[in-house]
Amino acid sequence: MGPAQIEAFAQLVVSAVLLGGIYALISLGLTLIFGILRVVNFAHGEFLMLGMYLAFWAFTLWGVDPYAALAAAIPLSFLLGLLTYGAVMRGVIRASHNVQIFTTVGLSIVLQNVALVAWSGDFRSVRPWHSAVVLRAGGTAFNLSQVVAFVIAVVLTVALFAFMRWTHTGRVMRATAQDRDAATLMGIDTDRVYRLTFAIGIAAVGAAGVLVAPLYPVYPTAGLQFVLVSYVVVVLGGLGDMVGALLGSLIVAAVEVVGSYFFGTAWKEVLYFLLFIAVLVFRPAGLFGQRGAETLGA
Amino acid sequence: MSLLRRRHAAAIAIFGLAALAPLAVHDAFLLHTVVEILLWGALAAAWNVASGYAGQVSLGHAAFFGIGAYSAALFGTRFQQSPWLGMLAGVVVSVGAGAVIGYLSNRLRGPYFALSTIAFSQVLLVVASRWRGFTAGSEGIPVPFRPGLWSLGLGHVAWVYLALAVAVLYYLLQVYLDRSRVGYQLAGVREDEDAAEALGIASRRLKVLAVVLSAALTAVCGSLWAQFVGFVDPFYVFSVDLSVRFALMTIIGGAATAVGPFLGSILITSLETYLRATFSGVKTGFTGIYLVIYGTALILVVRFVPEGLAGLAGRVRARRRRRPQPAVAGARQ
Repeated sequence: MGPAQIEAFAQLVVSAVLLGGIYALISLGLTLIFGILRVVNFAHGEFLMLGMYLAFWAFTLWGVDPYAALAAAIPLSFLLGLLTYGAVMRGVIRASHNVQIFTTVGLSIVLQNVALVAWSGDFRSVRPWHSAVVLRAGGTAFNLSQVVAFVIAVVLTVALFAFMRWTHTGRVMRATAQDRDAATLMGIDTDRVYRLTFAIGIAAVGAAGVLVAPLYPVYPTAGLQFVLVSYVVVVLGGLGDMVGALLGSLIVAAVEVVGSYFFGTAWKEVLYFLLFIAVLVFRPAGLFGQRGAETLGA
Repeated sequence: MSLLRRRHAAAIAIFGLAALAPLAVHDAFLLHTVVEILLWGALAAAWNVASGYAGQVSLGHAAFFGIGAYSAALFGTRFQQSPWLGMLAGVVVSVGAGAVIGYLSNRLRGPYFALSTIAFSQVLLVVASRWRGFTAGSEGIPVPFRPGLWSLGLGHVAWVYLALAVAVLYYLLQVYLDRSRVGYQLAGVREDEDAAEALGIASRRLKVLAVVLSAALTAVCGSLWAQFVGFVDPFYVFSVDLSVRFALMTIIGGAATAVGPFLGSILITSLETYLRATFSGVKTGFTGIYLVIYGTALILVVRFVPEGLAGLAGRVRARRRRRPQPAVAGARQ
């Protein structure tokens, strides 16, 4: 390998890690909600989109930097999560898969089109000063917004893991994930756990939306491309498995970055969707998950 | 009223009105809407076979629609052949693709299966929009209008009757699934696969069969739609939105009922068309309000009226029949 190849390789690794950090934050909310509520949230991308719009309006109307808007976005998304749980999700927690699928699909349709009606389908962009700053180090180049987004995503991810690991509430949530009936018998108010989990998951994805707003165009269906990625990530890592989601994020980001380098950006999606279908067919419980979870309907 | 007529009253009314429409009105816009309602209804019916009757929820049926649309358009433009032959090719390809998806339905359940169908349609979207040499890429394909039945260049009146024929055919197919042995077996698979298997129903084969049939029916309508609209855009024909639309119409109208998909299509297509005609240009994006309404309706229907509008009508009728005549006024309090 000559110096040019080493530089290219270093750039690929850095890009993959930066991208993976963002994917991790998006996917963690999805996998957390699945792990505890046993519901695949098909509206997950729409909450990301709302986060992006929040960043856009805060920046456009008041000139608030997206990373400062995060301070408002996290509690607002959390609140929206609480409300959505009470109004929509609560009644279908013990319903059949198909009812759950179409409840969240319906939610996704509603949120997308509320955004469309309210803010039109135009592509908007958020361009704070840091999105134009390019950092260079050792032959690699990356955007300052990307780096900040990555750092914040990592901090939030670590905070989420610490919360799940060391707080009483986190332990209660993990207990519910493990066995909801046993948790109920131990006196855990599972309804409260579900509500809290859903709100935390939505807060995480809302925060991710604010973080990616300076990097990607904002429009009503902007969430779709990210949520498709996060489906791949969480299935790869095993639905409901938080550590798996982290590894999955890095794998998908690496596939995407390396794929774009060798085959052009156009075909990168084909690569990770084929990876997705292959994992579904050969290891449906995820690369690290237990076999058979998917046919039990987990 | 005979039993037959009562059971099919709604369908007879819908198809009868559609058949009379060209005689009563000559307005191209209205006839266009009638064709759309029938085609969307037929597409919803096709989705209903796999996802309603067999219970294998697909959110990627746009894949089969796109295959049908592209094969008709490509046969017409690239090979100078009849779109009917393109439709045939589309059906063949969809049967293959449907077999793959059907195989997945045997390995994956519930949300896992739905996710795999989305991934499948997204792969086709990327291929169609990027393979410039064959599919013309993201620009899409304008379908030339060549008058004649063989080249599917038809006037509005002919389109109404062609779409009506397809719609009636699909309706009858669903009626068969309501009443036949295969239909009851499918219902068994849908309600409890393990129990069905225990009763000796070949559930794996049945699911594949249902998905394959549904895929082929969808492809046929995809081909017709491409010819009717005259343009194939990869980002539309393979979109998740389109797959969701089939589901939306079917569930609101009544999943696993024969008339449901057509009821759903009438509701959704007519409101959409009305809003498009009234508000396009005034305020872009406002037409999205119909999806806010029907998205909300979807959430409510799956939870409170899982049998949809068709089932709701049946429920009201049954209650009216059962309600005893009060002997004394006010006895029901």
